[in-house]
Amino acid sequence: MAQPRVFCLVLLTVALGAQALTPSHHLSLSDVERLKGLLSQPFTDLASAYYSIVGLSKLGAAVADENDACQFLKAQLDPMSVDSLFFAAEASQAIADCEVSISNETRDILLAAVSEDSTVTQIFRAVSALSSLGLPLASQEVVAALVARIAKEDNVLAITTALQTATRLSQQAELGGILEEIEDLAARLDDLGGVYLQFEEGLEATALFVTAAYTLSDHADTEPPLKEDQVIQLVNSVFSKKSWDSRSEAFSVACAAAALSSNRFHVPVIVSTQGPATVSHSQPILHLLVTDILSNPLASANLLVESAQAVASKSVVLSQAPFSLRDGIFELNFMASQPASGYYQFTVAVTGDSRLVANQVELKVKVSTEVAVTNMDLSVVDKDQSIGTKTSRVDYPFKAKGSFTADSHQNFAMNFQLVDANTGVELTPHQTFVRFHNQKTGQEVVFVAEPDSKNLYKFELDTAERKSEFDSMSGTYVLHLIVGDATLENPILWNVADVVLKFLDEEAPAAIQSKTLYMPKPDIQHLFREPEKKPPTVVSNTFTALVLSPFLLLLILWFKLGANISNFSLSPSSVLFHVGHACMLGLMYVYWTHLNMFQTLKYLAIIGSLTFLAGNRMLAQKAVKRYAE
Amino acid sequence: MSNSVISVISRFLEEYTTKTSNKLKVVDAYLFYILLTGALQFLYCLLVGTFPFNSFLAGFISCVGAFILGVCLRIQINPDNKGDFLSISQERAFADFLLAHTVLHLVVINFIG
Repeated sequence: MAQPRVFCLVLLTVALGAQALTPSHHLSLSDVERLKGLLSQPFTDLASAYYSIVGLSKLGAAVADENDACQFLKAQLDPMSVDSLFFAAEASQAIADCEVSISNETRDILLAAVSEDSTVTQIFRAVSALSSLGLPLASQEVVAALVARIAKEDNVLAITTALQTATRLSQQAELGGILEEIEDLAARLDDLGGVYLQFEEGLEATALFVTAAYTLSDHADTEPPLKEDQVIQLVNSVFSKKSWDSRSEAFSVACAAAALSSNRFHVPVIVSTQGPATVSHSQPILHLLVTDILSNPLASANLLVESAQAVASKSVVLSQAPFSLRDGIFELNFMASQPASGYYQFTVAVTGDSRLVANQVELKVKVSTEVAVTNMDLSVVDKDQSIGTKTSRVDYPFKAKGSFTADSHQNFAMNFQLVDANTGVELTPHQTFVRFHNQKTGQEVVFVAEPDSKNLYKFELDTAERKSEFDSMSGTYVLHLIVGDATLENPILWNVADVVLKFLDEEAPAAIQSKTLYMPKPDIQHLFREPEKKPPTVVSNTFTALVLSPFLLLLILWFKLGANISNFSLSPSSVLFHVGHACMLGLMYVYWTHLNMFQTLKYLAIIGSLTFLAGNRMLAQKAVKRYAE
Repeated sequence: MSNSVISVISRFLEEYTTKTSNKLKVVDAYLFYILLTGALQFLYCLLVGTFPFNSFLAGFISCVGAFILGVCLRIQINPDNKGDFLSISQERAFADFLLAHTVLHLVVINFIG
């Protein structure tokens, strides 16, 4: 009923050629060890004892000292508490020859907890304790209580706990309603990028859901309503975290791993390479491992290459070839099909078990080879073809005997072929460089050698055209050929010959320009603005005296006219006025030398107002005196 | 021709020395002094150059301003012009002269650099 459906799904995927989702995360052997390590930490209370003991048993391991653990359980048990009874009972079940003592009261307490008024967790723990202790329980009542509680507590953890509770009930009970909850819960999962499927409540909730769904499906012999892609996405979510925060989280992951590797319906399979996925003539065999998510090898699995297609040429090299199993590792001699070097896209299928999920895997395999340089011909060609060319052949790894000279009338040429050392097929690697190195000046110039249509490599150096790259430095250059590629096992660095290049007009400076590029440049001196030319001091002094001289003339004229200060009245206002006026003139001088406008105005306001008042008084007195005459 | 010019000038000088009061002659002497100072500054600028130009401007404008204010004072205290300046007494004219000079000096000192 269920199995043909899964098989059809696989066929459909193959027929459509769709790229099925494969797990990107699983628990490697070191991850499993780490999980066991976390669970093996010493426990201090019943709850951590439960997580450790039961978790380790799910992973196929045991606690360090079982007797000690059993004694601990018995000592810590509180027969009045449902939780305590649950932890102790479940843990003791996992240890051989460990029995927790019970009394009639225990049974009554546990049975009393199974009702609509307790939480789902309480019901679950009571039911599990009853079942582990071998006490009878009424499954139908439990179902009724669970259904009532699910209606009230509509959250993910509660429903998952209800599912777990149902796994402890008799198979004759009405579990259909509870089974439907699996599908409803699955609808609540969040899809992250099509790769992960998890509850927003977190990893623990997702892992507990997976455990509950598969355990209940096994118990009720009904296939869980989860699609293949959903199963893979759940696997990715649960096993992407490789270090766990708490014992309960580790416990939930251990339970999920155990459920996914040994349930009756869906078993996700992991196909991985042992080491890098590379084959070559020295290592012609491709090794693959087929395991479940706990990295345990699958007992009955067969591996088949459905097709192996070259990435570059899209030609199919291999089709429907089986792997052979040796010591738990699947092997295939790929080099027997004599593939050319490069990358191949493998599609492998795992068969043998109808429960397998994600059993079609795509792999990229690299075939590497060794390269050989043949027919290396070096020649100096005259540009106008008047003098015949001198060609000399050099064999790898030797160096050409003489040096080659090329000046501005000649071109230096290099022809060679790159072939696969094993098959003789012509190769075009990614890196074929020709390097000139001037040992005296340290200059290095690198060119690319390009193949023509017949895969023959040609390199020509036009001395006149390329002189800028060489900075017109004539001299002896050591010539290297560099060949490299990802699929080559023997990259080549070959000192082929010495080439003497002669350039015209050596304009280049004696020192290499690149060397002086990073030296300090000459200092720039800042030129301040030149002050304007001033006339000689003598001239300005003369004119200063000249300009001040009319003042003398004024005094003389005034004296002649008889101007005097005999009418000067010594009244306070006139004294104050004159003093104030003198201060104002003094302030002008101070303004010129020290102050700014604002300060001056401030002082001027003070002095000015005083002077004004005094002056006003004085002039009024004068006027009165004048009118009196 | 030159005869009439000379005679006009001599007549003018004679009238000036006799008719004008002493007070006005004092002011005239002051005005003559200011004129000379300004002319000498201008001569320097022509001969030597305009550096520093702001100082030259400050000095020259000071002379020009002082000359103008002096002329104003002379006009206002001339008894012959009394009809034109009924509301302005001599003391008032002098006070105006001083106030205007304060402002002029402030500007000149600001500009002299």
